Amino acid sequence: MFIPGTVALQGESTKNVRIQNVNATIAVANIVRSSLGPQGLDKLLVDEIGEVTITNDGATILGNLDVEHPAAKVLVQLAGLQDQEVGDGTTSVVLVAAELLRLANDLVKDSIHPTTIINGYRIAMKTAVEYLKTQLLIPTKSLGPESFINAAKTSLSSKIIGLESDFFAKIVVDAIKGVAIMGKRGPKYPVTSVTVLKSPGKSTRESVLVDGFAFNYTRASQAMPRFIKKVKVAALDMPLTKEKLGLTVHVRVDNVKNLEEIRKREAEITKERIDMILKAGANVVLTTKSIDDYNLKYFSDAGAIAIRHIDHNDMRKVCKATGAKLLISFADLNGEETFDPSSLGEAEEISQEFISDNELIVFKGCKTTNSQSIILRGPNTFMLDEAERSIHDALCIVSQAFESRYVVPGGGAIETELSVYLEKFAKTLATKEQLAVMQFAEALLVIPKTLAVNAACDAIDLVAKLRAKHHEAQTCEDEETRKKLRNFGLDLFEQNIRDNLHAGILEPLISKLKMIKFATEAAITILRIDDLIKIYPEADDQKEEDMEAM
Amino acid sequence: MQPVLVLNAKTSREEGRKAQLSNIVAAKAVSNIIRTSLGPRAMLKMVLNPMGGIIVTNDGNSILREIDVSHPAAKNMLELSRSQSEEVGDGTTSVIILTGELLSVAEPFIRTNIHPRTIVQAYYKALDDSLEISKELTRTVDIKQKSEIMKIIHNSVGTKFMSKFGENLFDMAYDAVKIVDIEVEGHREIDIKRYVRIEKIPGGEIEDSYLLWGTMLNKDVLHPKMKRRIENPRIILLDVGLEYNKLESQTDVEIKQNQDYETMLRMEEEYIEDMVEKIVKFKPDLVITEKGCSDYAQHHLLKHNITALRRLKKSDSNRIARSVGAKIVSNVDLIKESDVGLKCGLFEVRKIGDEYFAFMDKCKEPQACTLLLRGPNKDIINEIERNVNEAMKAVRNILLEPRVLPGGGAFEMTLSQVLNEKSKTIPGKLQLPYQAVSVALEVIPRTLIQNCGANTVRVLTELRAKHANGKNQNWGIEGELGIIKEMNPENGVWDPYAVKIQTLKTAIESACMLLKIDEIVSGIGSKENQKN
Repeated sequence: MFIPGTVALQGESTKNVRIQNVNATIAVANIVRSSLGPQGLDKLLVDEIGEVTITNDGATILGNLDVEHPAAKVLVQLAGLQDQEVGDGTTSVVLVAAELLRLANDLVKDSIHPTTIINGYRIAMKTAVEYLKTQLLIPTKSLGPESFINAAKTSLSSKIIGLESDFFAKIVVDAIKGVAIMGKRGPKYPVTSVTVLKSPGKSTRESVLVDGFAFNYTRASQAMPRFIKKVKVAALDMPLTKEKLGLTVHVRVDNVKNLEEIRKREAEITKERIDMILKAGANVVLTTKSIDDYNLKYFSDAGAIAIRHIDHNDMRKVCKATGAKLLISFADLNGEETFDPSSLGEAEEISQEFISDNELIVFKGCKTTNSQSIILRGPNTFMLDEAERSIHDALCIVSQAFESRYVVPGGGAIETELSVYLEKFAKTLATKEQLAVMQFAEALLVIPKTLAVNAACDAIDLVAKLRAKHHEAQTCEDEETRKKLRNFGLDLFEQNIRDNLHAGILEPLISKLKMIKFATEAAITILRIDDLIKIYPEADDQKEEDMEAM
Repeated sequence: MQPVLVLNAKTSREEGRKAQLSNIVAAKAVSNIIRTSLGPRAMLKMVLNPMGGIIVTNDGNSILREIDVSHPAAKNMLELSRSQSEEVGDGTTSVIILTGELLSVAEPFIRTNIHPRTIVQAYYKALDDSLEISKELTRTVDIKQKSEIMKIIHNSVGTKFMSKFGENLFDMAYDAVKIVDIEVEGHREIDIKRYVRIEKIPGGEIEDSYLLWGTMLNKDVLHPKMKRRIENPRIILLDVGLEYNKLESQTDVEIKQNQDYETMLRMEEEYIEDMVEKIVKFKPDLVITEKGCSDYAQHHLLKHNITALRRLKKSDSNRIARSVGAKIVSNVDLIKESDVGLKCGLFEVRKIGDEYFAFMDKCKEPQACTLLLRGPNKDIINEIERNVNEAMKAVRNILLEPRVLPGGGAFEMTLSQVLNEKSKTIPGKLQLPYQAVSVALEVIPRTLIQNCGANTVRVLTELRAKHANGKNQNWGIEGELGIIKEMNPENGVWDPYAVKIQTLKTAIESACMLLKIDEIVSGIGSKENQKN
């Protein structure tokens, strides 16, 4: 029926395909399971050439693994998506998706059609999101500025720098606050405006936040000043070396004397260009290409700083921060060479600073965006790499907390509350979907369960306690007590439950919303699959036969 | 049903406790390699690298750098000593030993299923407390007194090979650092890497090494008739060649007449003459260029009685500029009187062994200098170089942070005792791992005793007894004889605060990182392979 090389598992194997898919997703979830929460552990990944990565970021772990199974790949992409959209919560989303699939599979075994389950999951997701948006969110205004620090701490606590979370939370919140810009709909807090630099050495606690944009370059010549106020930046994407015609251009000289003229011109063209830039008011000149040593003197004589061989990405960031235009040529419409002062970027000051063995260039008070830089220190590069990922996650979380202005209590509180609510809601449904909604409610509990297991607590006992509290919240008449009870979550250090809003375990609303949405969508995608057709590449001998036939 | 293959079949995974234990084993293995290189009775290691070269050293970082390890955790350890070496330049051996020991005392806890996070939490708490305690133990050194600093250097580098060869190497190191200790626009700068050059010339005796107040180059003058000895020379440094360069653009010349050829040659000559003339206007005695210098230019320079050197490295050029007070000129049209270097006292070309060396010596207030090391063979000089480097870093550390802590294991022993006492006040699960840190700290005095062949148990208990009740905090191990001794400011071993603290921080933080790993996945294809 099929062309050779295609293998289909059909008919009676439909069930097998689904079971295989579910097993694969569970296997993926199991890999990241132990890295969830403040008591989670890290993974050490070694690639073929022996490069080492140490991480507990779900997306990084899965991204680095060589996942082969197609259904498992869906989960890997899911983690990547969460990483892009939210930045944190990658592990949770994978766990929830896998749990949804596992429980769906149980229903399928009881001969409930997958489409029914899919419908049920959709209903449950909508209800949960609705409930979350209307009832559970807490505006950050009501909590005061502490709430942002707490959100950062919650994100950081599960990371490699978790024990320093107080210290880093402050850095992260200050950094995000520093990059605020006014958008059309309220202030924006772009995470990309925060640069993270790594420098091995010292202790993690020696990390610093630099107000301004910092990068790892030094002045082209030591004779240039270290510090300039009222900076005007010219950004070039061309070399300031002796002018050179294209490769194939030959200049034929009839009069030998002209040769000398050409030589002079070559040097002069560049000098004129430099003069032009300096005349336009630039006192900092950056280029992605080279500058002749020969020409550096012009800059140092004018008291300007020139930096050469800047990486394109860094250059883009500088341009964004200072509002400089990256020029690829000086040519204007009239065929002349001009340097338009409006393409200069501005900053309050630039300085060359020492951090450990590194020399850094720091721009302060940039015109367009307010850049901030975090310089991470730590015993070795592996730790720094992981710290960078952690800081990035925390930056995303805090930025979202600022922008969305709503937070929810963490530590499994939200998941349990939603689970209890959905259970109650399921009983109002008189269709088959009821079962699926029940399973959805059950699946959400995977978060508090895993958190408890990772912290070496008695998960069954704790989750039961937690559910009881939340059930009380559902049935309670008094509005005040109800609101309080809803916020109960796990306390993993004391192995008990507590009011997590009060304890300052906070996560931005958007992170939880996306988690539920993404996980449900991914689970549905995999549930819909009832067949797996693999097309193997044609065998070589087959090809040879074809060739001979031709 | 077929098995479900989620991961690439080539990858191997180690999980849970197995992974943790294998990390600990690897870390211990690394620390065992260099254990014997600690203290004054340290042994050297001879490492053969794949190129066939030999390295003889007892510097932790230099040993580990050469070793090719495959276990990821072991790799991690190597990183450690590298960043320690970059940051403070000393303590590379101690940091590895301490990390290894911190992990090995954690092993029983892992085996008894105490959660690694608990251990980590306790370790961090211990680190915090240690930092508090260590502040009280410091003594501030009077950095104006050279003898005070020398004493410390003597002890911190005393474990090294060079200590057998007289005081003058230490003096040299001290003076060298003092020379480059300058203030640049309000920022104190001690840049050893750039401005102290170490020149190694095999031959002679170690005692022949000396510090040059200026710079030296492995060069001879360009023309045999140029002057080889100039007192108080005027020096011009150029970053441009004294030769006729081809044009950047491709140019062809069609020569139609004989004269044209003549003119062309003439032009080239004129070009050079013009350059030389511009230089001569400033009456230099010595012209040094980073680029080339053609024969014709040499001839003209010689005519004006100017000595010339060519093809310098940029780094050398910068150093000369700082030592003789010259500015590097990149365009002969732009030479100014202020660019001429005047501070050099003596220019001289000397022959050492088979080679000629140009010395720019006796500079007034040089801000760069050269250490000339001599010795019987390359390997020994290389080891001395490493030692001198360490000594200079030690001087720098003290100049920047004048506090010191008692050495010879005294500091570690005090910490160990205080932490041990404190652990009794800590409730809950944290107590045992916290106490374990105090046990781990004893590895430093213990290794010191071991390395000089004394009875470990006896001497260590003796030391512990001395430290009991928080008394005699300055008692440590006298590493030569393997007995206990008081480290008094007069003749004890004192280590820079910066080094000790960095060692503690690095060791504990990285031990924690390794403890927190519960899974090792290896054999992941690199991204390119996946695409193929």
